[in-house]
Amino acid sequence: MTSQDEGKSRARPDKAVLVIAVVLVGIAALVAWDAAHLSARVSTYSRVGAAAFPYTVAGALAILSLVTAIAAFRGTFPERAPLEIGPLGWVAGGLFLQIAILPFVGFSIATGLMFALVARGFGGKPLWASIPAGIVLSFVLYVLFSKGLQLSLPQGPLERLI
Amino acid sequence: MESFDALLSGIALATQPINLLYALIGVTLGTAVGVLPGIGPALTVALLLPVTFKLDPAGSLIMFAGIYYGGMYGGSTSSILLNTPGESASMITALEGNKMARAGRGGPALATAAIGSFVAGSIATALLAFVAPAIVEVALSFGPADYFALMVLAFTTVSSAFGGSMLRGLTALFIGLCLGLVGIDLQTGQARLAYGVPDLLDGVEVTTAAVGMFALGETLFVASQLSRSQETIEAVRGSVWMTAKDWSRSWKPWLRGTALGFPIGALPAGGAEIPTFLSYSMEKQLSKHPEEFGHGAIEGVAGPEAANNASAAGTIVPLLTLGLPTTATAAMMLAGFQQYGLNPGPLLFTTNPDLVWGLIASLFVANTMLLVLNLPLIGVWVRMLSIPRPWLYGGILVFATLGTLGANPSQFELSMLAGLGFLGFLMRYFDYPVAPVIIGLILGPLAEQQLRRALAISQGDPAALVETGLSIGIYVICALVLLGPLAMRALRRKKAGSDIRPAFED
Amino acid sequence: MGVLTRFATGFLVAAAMAAPALAQELTIIAPAGPGGGWDQTARSLQTALQTEGLAKNVQVVNVPGAGGTIGLAQFVSQHKGNPNTLIVGGYVMVGAIATNASPVTLDQVTPVARLTGEYEAIVVPTSSPIKTIGDLVAQLKADPGTVSWGGGSAGGTDHITVGLIAKAAGVDPTKINYIPFSGGGEALAAIVGGKVTAGISGWGEFEQQVKAGKLRVIAVSAPERIAGIDAPTLKESGLDVEVQNWRGVWAAPGLTDEQKAGLIALVEKVNASKSWTDTLATKGWANTFLAGDAFGTVLKDEIAKTNVVLKDIGLIK
Repeated sequence: MTSQDEGKSRARPDKAVLVIAVVLVGIAALVAWDAAHLSARVSTYSRVGAAAFPYTVAGALAILSLVTAIAAFRGTFPERAPLEIGPLGWVAGGLFLQIAILPFVGFSIATGLMFALVARGFGGKPLWASIPAGIVLSFVLYVLFSKGLQLSLPQGPLERLI
Repeated sequence: MESFDALLSGIALATQPINLLYALIGVTLGTAVGVLPGIGPALTVALLLPVTFKLDPAGSLIMFAGIYYGGMYGGSTSSILLNTPGESASMITALEGNKMARAGRGGPALATAAIGSFVAGSIATALLAFVAPAIVEVALSFGPADYFALMVLAFTTVSSAFGGSMLRGLTALFIGLCLGLVGIDLQTGQARLAYGVPDLLDGVEVTTAAVGMFALGETLFVASQLSRSQETIEAVRGSVWMTAKDWSRSWKPWLRGTALGFPIGALPAGGAEIPTFLSYSMEKQLSKHPEEFGHGAIEGVAGPEAANNASAAGTIVPLLTLGLPTTATAAMMLAGFQQYGLNPGPLLFTTNPDLVWGLIASLFVANTMLLVLNLPLIGVWVRMLSIPRPWLYGGILVFATLGTLGANPSQFELSMLAGLGFLGFLMRYFDYPVAPVIIGLILGPLAEQQLRRALAISQGDPAALVETGLSIGIYVICALVLLGPLAMRALRRKKAGSDIRPAFED
Repeated sequence: MGVLTRFATGFLVAAAMAAPALAQELTIIAPAGPGGGWDQTARSLQTALQTEGLAKNVQVVNVPGAGGTIGLAQFVSQHKGNPNTLIVGGYVMVGAIATNASPVTLDQVTPVARLTGEYEAIVVPTSSPIKTIGDLVAQLKADPGTVSWGGGSAGGTDHITVGLIAKAAGVDPTKINYIPFSGGGEALAAIVGGKVTAGISGWGEFEQQVKAGKLRVIAVSAPERIAGIDAPTLKESGLDVEVQNWRGVWAAPGLTDEQKAGLIALVEKVNASKSWTDTLATKGWANTFLAGDAFGTVLKDEIAKTNVVLKDIGLIK
């Protein structure tokens, strides 16, 4: 596609792009499977029913998967830099941690820890400093929300104090 | 000039000191809550409705107007600075606006958004005051077949958001269409792609998807390229104000955005998103710098922001003239009227003219007030970007999750946000554009429902799709949009002579 | 931003501080997002309980999703035996439980009271050749496909009512041409614009348009005529259909009789209070209060009937 790509000697097929093609055809299969199991008993006078759009989308995704596979063999996807697993891991870990502990420790602690891990991923201050900072920030936001807007965010030990 | 006199007395009402104070409170609250992603103007008005209980009707409606417009300003501010669209209609703003902000041009981006919103809001409010009855007749003649044509038009222009590769753009679009299928099918009440998970029955929330793919996806991507990316966010590079060049590149998009936003906003099922899509692709087509699109083109902020604001004023047309709430925000405004026993509708103009004109005038006032308040604040806002990167990205994620949890405090919704964030990250890593996903998610269900509705009403006769003048007219525009550029290119090639290689090789 | 929000909160806190102190702490679950009908009902209950001094601290928790069934499921699993929680819901939930095949049903919660309700109205554009419900039924009998009905989502109150009308008129309910719209405004625009033959929804949706002469109301689903609405009931038009789109409140499962009686008494006090009456008046909600077991009995009967008609329409097996 561009001269940059042509100059690189890269393993063909591009395995990661092949994986994308497989995932796409997998999604297409899931969508088509689901559409086939729709049993519209409710009558509608439209000839285009509940399954028509899913089949169209599935068909298009299958074709796109094929074109993607061809692109993998021709190596036309742009060059990618390797992933930095460290920082990525901290950020992803922060998000997972927040989801996992949210129902048990409440909004402030879960979100505060997430903040600290994300900051750590971006090379921030030590955790002993950013964890309290994150929890305080989140707690202030919680108070603004629950008192100011009457919106209920998930509660934990800290939130029950007020 | 009866309307004009009425408007003047409305302005007199709205500019009484006490009402100015209400407007000020409204715009302040609206902006503060509106910056939260996932919490758009509708929810802001809903949450703040009880605050207005104690006020007199005029003061309360004036405060609404302030909250409404303030919420939109807040939404575009967070889109530009943090890449967290406060609502689906400011998603397009994030595309170019955030790129500008990261290049140190956050000041001009915020300014063109603010001034564009002001210009569009003012023109649209003036149109609301003078041509509402005429517009509403046209709006009512739109049926499902005409709406379907409008969606087709929106789809024909979607490729402007594709970036470099047709394959990857189309793949992103179809992933979005696929996400749009999830949930209960409105026409038959059956669940699609929910696989028995009750949380999926309502489908994928657009703001969750937009915030996940934009804010979380971007954060994960930047983390994954941390040492390599030399991208240091500069808060200000060059002037914090719009330069003469910015002005000359902005004013036409403002006007074109208004021209798209107001009429489409006035349509009962037009919405605020479609005009922003149309405006974006129009600006890309017309721009002298199409290569800047995707890297921070000011036209891509100016046009869609104007379209967004003009459509907001547009939605007030059916609300005031017919009592039809066509958006969630309009429905909340209706609730606001009703708490005083006022019913918007054809009768309101005759039963309570002072209030109607007071409201229209207060839209002007709120709009002006926001401009006056926001312009000096731009310098402060862009400094936010000079927060050290660890705190900035940590804060963005706190904001993103807070907005999502505020609207739906569930672990499932948060997981969905993170899941879509990872999808956004992977797509970025493989150089897929993410905006088409959100566009597909918004447009897909609309197009499908309107098509099936049109066919059900006609009892399956496809001729109904091209029965009206409106739908035929829109399809003609589609054809022009598709064929126009090809024809232009052919013409240009002819003029330039034969030594130039065919354009489609690039 | 800091200053703005501090200002905002100060303002809101001041606005919310009017509540005198009293015994009970209550949590009300609104199984819908902020701003919708059930959320407004929950927040109105909250306001009434607090301003009347009937409860010390009342919190509204939103659990949106799937026609209220997600909130209901969470309520049953998390609050069993807890006498300090209530959940708001309504007739739409009955349909949603059936169409979504929800594992948790209204049999599993304790009925406290039906609070408010609204009757369905059937309208046509003023320019329509259809003048009466008789004309509409005649056309429906002749060719059900030519009568397109515009209303709310599939399986909702509007759809159910159309199914009941078809049945009462002796028309095959699977043959009705019902066109669901997602929002009230969109449906109304299609009806006023003459895109569908007839419209069906709560009377409140149509009131202004009827008064302004854009729509003609041809029937209401109430047991007897409603003051201020110039239309016959379906019953007196020979169609044995009566539908009320009500909202009510339930308590958790597994309560003692005493706890149950206490909650019913509490809601009865709310119903008799001035602030509740005022709220109903400003919101335009009709009071169709029915407490305790009487509500439970009516509800059981309604659920059974609804499931039959949903089956007839073809929405559930």
